[in-house]
Amino acid sequence: MRKKGSRKPKGRFRAFRLVLLIGFLLTMTLIFLVSTLGSQKFGPLHELLFEAVGPVQNIFSRGTDSLRSLKQDYVDLLSVRRENERLWAELQECRTLSYKNREALATNTRLRKLLNFKNVTGLPMVAARIIGKDPSVWFRSVVIDRGARDGVSKGMAVVNGDGVVGQIFSVSPNYAKVLLAIAPSSAMDVVLQKSRVRGILKGTGSLTYQLDYILKTIEVEEGDQVVTAGYGGIFPTGLPIGVVSKVIRKRRGMFLEVEVEPAVDFLTLEDLLVVEQELIISEEEGGVLPVEP
Amino acid sequence: MFVIGFFSLGVLLIGLQTTLFMVNPLWNASPDFYFVLVAYLAYRHDLFRSLIILFPLGLIFDVLSGVLLGMYPALLILGFLLLKFMASHLPVRESLYQVPMIGVSYLLVSWLVYVFMSFASESPLVPWSWPVMLMRAGLVILCTFPLFRVFEFFNRRIEGKISPLHKMRLRSGNRYRE
Repeated sequence: MRKKGSRKPKGRFRAFRLVLLIGFLLTMTLIFLVSTLGSQKFGPLHELLFEAVGPVQNIFSRGTDSLRSLKQDYVDLLSVRRENERLWAELQECRTLSYKNREALATNTRLRKLLNFKNVTGLPMVAARIIGKDPSVWFRSVVIDRGARDGVSKGMAVVNGDGVVGQIFSVSPNYAKVLLAIAPSSAMDVVLQKSRVRGILKGTGSLTYQLDYILKTIEVEEGDQVVTAGYGGIFPTGLPIGVVSKVIRKRRGMFLEVEVEPAVDFLTLEDLLVVEQELIISEEEGGVLPVEP
Repeated sequence: MFVIGFFSLGVLLIGLQTTLFMVNPLWNASPDFYFVLVAYLAYRHDLFRSLIILFPLGLIFDVLSGVLLGMYPALLILGFLLLKFMASHLPVRESLYQVPMIGVSYLLVSWLVYVFMSFASESPLVPWSWPVMLMRAGLVILCTFPLFRVFEFFNRRIEGKISPLHKMRLRSGNRYRE
């Protein structure tokens, strides 16, 4: 059993210590206040405290910043996938649009060229598009989406913005087959633009023509322009056909061997023009003749 | 149904060959799907129905290609008869050897038709080129296996061996009764 009298003095001492501490602190505070109010400057103690607290604040501040940044990064990471998907979709859309624009530009250039050609020649023409190509290795022909209903008939000349492409070989109401000028069975009356000499241009089945019946006495040079002669009446006069690419003079024979590079790029044929010239089929000659105006 | 089905398939193959597989008018590497169909019909089906399919297909080809009418029906029927003859008379009948035979018969028939046309046609043809024709024969051989699978599948669909209803049929669970 504890004695009651022994607890009382200890409690008094504690209260005295507390009063003493509060008094000390208040005195110190008063001293700080007085010293600060007087000079408005930090005293050494202030400075000491300031220096001691500063690094702590700094550490906390940096920690907080790091935490905030980490949180932001996490939030960003959550949204970045969605953003990535959105941007990829946008990129695809832009690429598609760019491709379409390029295609439209190319088509525009091609059609403009065709239109210019049509305006320059001043002939009635029907625009057509290639819808099929001859799969055989022995023939060179294409199928176009215009036929008898559009005014197309057998024997009509087919051109594009660069020059002569071929001739209508067979026709149905809505479609027609074009025998390309490079086909071995194709032959055209042509003239060398510089010397005005006439010759027969034949297809070889490859990307060159063969110009026949040019006498050795005639000066033919590489680069000479070859155009349609217009004698048969099928092809209008002066349509570009190609450029002389090789001239071979053999000892034997009367004629030169002349190779002509086509003006038309047969590998990229797409849009064509059919020259609407009225023609009558000559049964006896098995060919076609133009109708006299 | 068989004739209509395979004729439609042939038209589809012709359409593909003359458009998608012809990159430009001078493209030589277009596979001759029609000859694989000829070979399939020769190896797997009877003469009568096959000729009914092949003749109009040849006429369609004539319209789209070449300048001589009747060339493609001749090519298709000649190829069919040759393959049919080889399939029934040659001692080797395994499918492993049949595939190269299709390429060989393609070359032979093409050459025969070309020689005939060189004499018969007034207008000259593109000169015969062995590298090009060998490449075409190689393409026919390459297309043979996948196209035979397609034709077989198509044939089974036509004959009703594979139908959605067949697949959906409820089974009793008794294997011996089925």
